[in-house]
Amino acid sequence: MNLLKKNVLKKIGDEAMPFALGIPAFLWQILFFYIPLLLVFILSFPTFSWEYFTPFFASEYVSVIVRTVLIALSTAFFCLCIAYPIVYLIVFKGGRFKHMFFLFLLLPFLTTFLLHIYAWMFVLERGGVINVLLQSVGLISEPLHLLNSSFAVIFVMVYCYLPFMILPLYSSLEKFDKRFFEASYDLGATWWQTLWRVLIPLSFPGIRSGFFLVLVPAFGEFAIPELVGGDKKMFVGSIITHYTMGAQTASLGAAFTLLTAFILLIVVVAVYGITVKIFKQ
Amino acid sequence: MKDVILRQVSKSYRGEQVLEKINLTIPSGKFFALLGPSGCGKTTILRLIGGFEQVDAGTIFIGDTNITDLPSNQRSVNTVFQNYALFPHLNVFENVAYSLRVRGVDEATIKTRVMQLLKTFGLERRVYASVTELSGGQQQRVALARAIINEPAVLLLDEPLAAMDYRLREKMLVELIELQDSLQTTFLYVTHDPFEALTVADQMAIMNADGEIEQVGTPKEIYEFPVSAFVAKFVGPANILRGKLVLVDETAQVIVPDLGMFPVDIVRQKEENFGWLINDRTVLLSIRPEKILITKRSLEGYAAKLEGIVHSIVYSGRSTEYIVRVGDSFTLRVFEQNEEHIAQEVIDYDDKVYLYWHQKNVVVLER
Repeated sequence: MNLLKKNVLKKIGDEAMPFALGIPAFLWQILFFYIPLLLVFILSFPTFSWEYFTPFFASEYVSVIVRTVLIALSTAFFCLCIAYPIVYLIVFKGGRFKHMFFLFLLLPFLTTFLLHIYAWMFVLERGGVINVLLQSVGLISEPLHLLNSSFAVIFVMVYCYLPFMILPLYSSLEKFDKRFFEASYDLGATWWQTLWRVLIPLSFPGIRSGFFLVLVPAFGEFAIPELVGGDKKMFVGSIITHYTMGAQTASLGAAFTLLTAFILLIVVVAVYGITVKIFKQ
Repeated sequence: MKDVILRQVSKSYRGEQVLEKINLTIPSGKFFALLGPSGCGKTTILRLIGGFEQVDAGTIFIGDTNITDLPSNQRSVNTVFQNYALFPHLNVFENVAYSLRVRGVDEATIKTRVMQLLKTFGLERRVYASVTELSGGQQQRVALARAIINEPAVLLLDEPLAAMDYRLREKMLVELIELQDSLQTTFLYVTHDPFEALTVADQMAIMNADGEIEQVGTPKEIYEFPVSAFVAKFVGPANILRGKLVLVDETAQVIVPDLGMFPVDIVRQKEENFGWLINDRTVLLSIRPEKILITKRSLEGYAAKLEGIVHSIVYSGRSTEYIVRVGDSFTLRVFEQNEEHIAQEVIDYDDKVYLYWHQKNVVVLER
């Protein structure tokens, strides 16, 4: 009888354990995510109407949203184009030094984010390193207008977000079984064919998570466009900051936040859908 | 003829010599097994032929073509990998179609050839299944189909049955033999399992742990007439006795101290001109357990007659194994078929028995 009771208790304990362990994370999520989101929602509807949303359907805001989506997508795309070959080389050609190479790759990102941005400002500005160099070798006569452009924003964002692409790619390529290369070559495929038909499809989960890990924060970025982008209102993040900080316009900021979050969700679902279609997984 | 020929092939990994000046000919159209203990370099030979590794020295030919420096995607060789390495993101059809696709074969031809092959392998119901949901036997068939669809000159099989249970393995062995029969492609089958090698091979080579090829021959030659104690013991159970060779005219005998004097055949060894066939040399005798007759009766007409005490009996269905003590320092293993065509006598623990064998069933070995 006693034993039976003990077993039943143990069984309940075994089943309840995973839930019990999940409680702190769940509480955290409610406290710091769902409740604030609810507050933003409430804030954006001080009256039961769309009045705080309607101003944002003006063409100037629409173009900001479109530009932000395009810049975020380009950032994620260029991050992928840069990170994939590098991670490929480290994982498959790095030999026993690959962990060291990987560490070196991430080392610069241990310093603060803002420092990177300021450093790039000095490099890109009219009297900056690049212009001085190009002028001294005579490639250009007038300094290039590098800073305060979409180019500068994408460039610095790609630099800053690179680790978010590298980490998932690394863990996904690291898991890749090298025998698939051999099997592919054995069956007559070239290196390119193996890349497109085997490596990329099989590392696709890593590519996708890297893409979203860059895309989503890049969409909400405000510091980089503010500092290297020149135009103060060119980015969704800057507009949200602008309205939310103003005491009278908090509701506008909240409404814009919800609106753009919804648009981002659509973009993410669309990208997901397209890639599923391409790679059938 | 498209024999695969390895000439003076050497290979080392990180300073450790795996293969040294290996010479091996794998005859065209034969089912050839390469048998050896794990780590002996047999897989390295397969990988060198497949083009996944480069030789340090030596040359590899397929027929008259030197393929030593050819990359693996240009060799007329395909491989069934250990654990198959089927592409997990492709279904059965696409796995099999892979080598046709990368060669730019047109869609209609791909469809006919893949479907035809899948049908012969009994996979027509699993064409669009994911390879990860297949059973072990089905995965093996997909791997085979994928490897032979391009009609290679040589098919390499790297321990293809290692992950299978005993029953399935026997079944797949028969399928492999039938497949090789119908294709007449050269098969190179690498394994550490003597049972598999003896079963499938027309010809086989056996390697020792130092990466040297000890013997090449038919399974029967290797099992019945091993050239060394290593080969004798690796391909099956063997009783090995140490003694001194006595040559008188055309006859040969081996004196095993404390056991007796046994006449042996040396015709084979003489034909192949073995230099170690000299009087008084220490040699080994190998007798297979099933070649020894065990009985309580006293018989005549055998090359050897020993008296012993039954030490242990292991009954395993179709045969019984006896461990028999002979004299103070010898134990011999004896197999007896449980055929019972004629009434068998009952042999029990500690019974006194006689052991007999024929001269032709004893093999003299140098080492």
